[in-house]
Amino acid sequence: MISIVIAVFVTAVMAVALGLELKRDLMMFQQNSYRAERYRRWLAESKDTTSMVRVVGLVVLFLSLSMFSRRFIAAGLTVAFALWVIKSLSGRKYKKPLAWTARARRIYGVACALSIVVAVAAWCISNGSLYATDSALAPSLGLLAAFCASHVVIMAANWLLKPVEGAITRRYYNDAARILRSMPDLKIIGITGSYGKTSTKHYLQRILSEKYDTLMTPGSYNTTLGVVRTVREYLKPYNEVFIVEMGAKNVGDIKEICDLVHPHMGIITAVGPQHLESFKTIERVQAAKFELADALGADGTIIVNDDFEKIADRPVSNCNVLRYGVTSNSPWRAVDIVYSSEGTTFTVVGPDGVRMPLRTRLMGEANVSDLLAAAVCALKLGVAPGAIAAAVASIEPVEHRLSVKRTPGGITILDDAFNSNPVGSRMALEVLGTMTGGKRIVITPGMIELGERQFELNRELGSHIARNADIAIVVGEYNREAIVQGIEDGGMNRDAVKVVDSFAQAQAELARIAAKGDTVLYENDLPDTFK
Amino acid sequence: MKTKVGVFFGGRSTEHEISVISANQAMCAFNPDKYEIIPIYISKEGRWYTGRELLTLSNYRNIPELLKKVTEIYMRPVYGDFNLYNARKGFFGKDVLDTLDLAVPVLHGTNVEDGRFEGLLETIGLPYAGCDTLASANGMDKITMKMILRDQNIPVVDFTWFTDRQWAAKRDEVIAEIENKLGYPVIVKPADLGSSIGIGTAHNREALIAKINDAVRFSPRIIVEHMVTALREINCSVLGDADEYETSVLEEPIKAEEILSYGDKYMGGGMHAAQKRIPAELPANTAAECARLAGETFRVLGCHGVSRVDLIMDGDNGKVYVNEINTIPGSLSYYLWEAAGVSFEELMDRLVKLALKRHRAQQGKTLSFSANIFAMGGGAKGGIKGGMKK
Repeated sequence: MISIVIAVFVTAVMAVALGLELKRDLMMFQQNSYRAERYRRWLAESKDTTSMVRVVGLVVLFLSLSMFSRRFIAAGLTVAFALWVIKSLSGRKYKKPLAWTARARRIYGVACALSIVVAVAAWCISNGSLYATDSALAPSLGLLAAFCASHVVIMAANWLLKPVEGAITRRYYNDAARILRSMPDLKIIGITGSYGKTSTKHYLQRILSEKYDTLMTPGSYNTTLGVVRTVREYLKPYNEVFIVEMGAKNVGDIKEICDLVHPHMGIITAVGPQHLESFKTIERVQAAKFELADALGADGTIIVNDDFEKIADRPVSNCNVLRYGVTSNSPWRAVDIVYSSEGTTFTVVGPDGVRMPLRTRLMGEANVSDLLAAAVCALKLGVAPGAIAAAVASIEPVEHRLSVKRTPGGITILDDAFNSNPVGSRMALEVLGTMTGGKRIVITPGMIELGERQFELNRELGSHIARNADIAIVVGEYNREAIVQGIEDGGMNRDAVKVVDSFAQAQAELARIAAKGDTVLYENDLPDTFK
Repeated sequence: MKTKVGVFFGGRSTEHEISVISANQAMCAFNPDKYEIIPIYISKEGRWYTGRELLTLSNYRNIPELLKKVTEIYMRPVYGDFNLYNARKGFFGKDVLDTLDLAVPVLHGTNVEDGRFEGLLETIGLPYAGCDTLASANGMDKITMKMILRDQNIPVVDFTWFTDRQWAAKRDEVIAEIENKLGYPVIVKPADLGSSIGIGTAHNREALIAKINDAVRFSPRIIVEHMVTALREINCSVLGDADEYETSVLEEPIKAEEILSYGDKYMGGGMHAAQKRIPAELPANTAAECARLAGETFRVLGCHGVSRVDLIMDGDNGKVYVNEINTIPGSLSYYLWEAAGVSFEELMDRLVKLALKRHRAQQGKTLSFSANIFAMGGGAKGGIKGGMKK
């Protein structure tokens, strides 16, 4: 009788410990987007499967099994372990705690049920074993085993729930499709591209809002499920335009989104070598992006960026096509681009004598290109040129993304500190190159995380510096050799290149040389992230 | 999906009943395929109710009986919370009865048409049709309105103004100013009442004193205007916003007495008891001038949605003055728009679109208050210390 009471107590304490551990595992699983492969990668990286608590748990399990006949010792060990776990897990604060969503509750419920199954199974097995008389402890040891393999329990629960989740996703999908069908007047615009789609989406939303009530998919909701969620949670009956950002990691991704939303217009901002690990070839990137054009009907319009070779060489015949570009000779162009400390002015030129001068606080060719795409789309939707100009002028630059400001001392600061890609760096330097009136100074530590092309691309950065700057301050040792070599190859005077070890030294150097009317470009990763 | 439009009407106002009529007309006008109308009746005590029964005008004959059938509600003054909460929730009842997408206030008169109600909607962040707080307040107060218009070179009749306290303390000075500046005859008006209540004309000092004594009963601010004797009244509705607006055809109310009194305007059996001529019979250039002044008044005051500008014309010399603006006009001036080729349904549609446009524009403006000044050390410390000093 006593042993039964003890066994129940041990099982209960162990169950609480397991419950807490499953909650923690579920939190981690949730932060890995409920994706088994990501979760496994995280487990491998974090070594959570062989954490101290688990190793101790295994030892306790092993000792308890080997000392099964001395059940009080086994019970004592198990209880001690469980209490230790409960003490360390309960009340622990996490940066991003578990969100008890419906899905999290489902997985947790099934994981608990699975644990009970394990406990009952352990009891059944031990009943038929040599130690039949001591089978009362078996359930707690079953729970202990489940504790040691709690990740497996969570993943098994998730696997078991797959059909349920699938059905729920389908229901949400169908619900989103129903909502979209109930709004036949809603104009739907898809935006995709290897780069620039998010900026273009924001600019278009701002411009179209002059005339239409416009919703866009928020943040990085650029998958089918992201669109489903946007439609179900954010779409309002009075919305007139819905801008859908469409991301693609594989051929077919964009078609899938189009099958849900049936766009009327589309914008393809770029076809470039992004996500090549999954696409393999640029032709497949092109095919994936042009799924958006393929989804349009005869009265639809696709707006494409001809500055990219893999866009310019792709004919479109199933719908209207408007081709734009900054460097290419397309029907829609941005011309007379002038950068100043106030921002950028340029003129949108189109067929039938369309000329629309625009002024923006944004800088750089990439922004001009994205604004051009948005302006062409807005013109097609009947937004008045004056309204487009007003909207473009009101768009705020994002700080550290080639944003421009003037110091009280009359120095123009171009801040491109968050940029990390070679194309963006070139464009930023070209903006610097167009600045007139004073010295053009660039401060840069170069670019990092470029793999085997690290040296080559930083040397190229150096050659762009030589072409566009008067003075270069190279920060840190990491890319020094490559950048200085590129600058010297570009024919810039060696005296105009300063090498410093830290950002603080760069600032001191700058204070010595900068004067009223000068322009300073901060290019690439913020210097405190690496030395 | 249909857009859920909360139509607010009634209110603690002398024009309570007129509002009920205007709102019922408006609610019938909405396109039922696009909009779901949620009537929200504000009682004379200031309590809010919703329910289908509020859609039938005849139910208002017995208001206590009507209020038994409908549900008392409230909204929380919390930004972004567009829910209608059940004020009399039982243990098992639903807390949130409905959620609005948009509000259309069809409220007339002091306490509701003067920006107070709009301020509440702005606090909540709910998109709404019609003038914002500032335009409503300026439009309601005849003194500030005329100051603004005069400053912007929009003709208004000569006026002077004073408070009830000034009247009580230095009556002789006030009378002297009126007589010197304006002379007789004059019109005495409480500054901030929407209808004709408290308004009177005076041809001599004795009458002036009597009319002012009457007016101070209604408002602490009194305006006295030069009276145009050979008066013709011309009304013009304006639709849009300060950037883009259009004017309706003109109407001319036919007056029964010297001035349209409250009884004439409303008691004679509904809104149309006062006879009116649509369009007003005017020479083309006078009509154009009336429309221009109406539009300018709308623009200068920063109005929004549909307003009605009331002008007066001196029949002797043809000169036109802006008399007042109704930022939520009776019947929303639909009859002037129908005559201009805009159906009542389209009028409501455009009010909704304008409301959403303003809401978008507001959200597009940078309002940077994410930084916590208290967390910035230095200056904040001094600020708090200074502020807490006794």
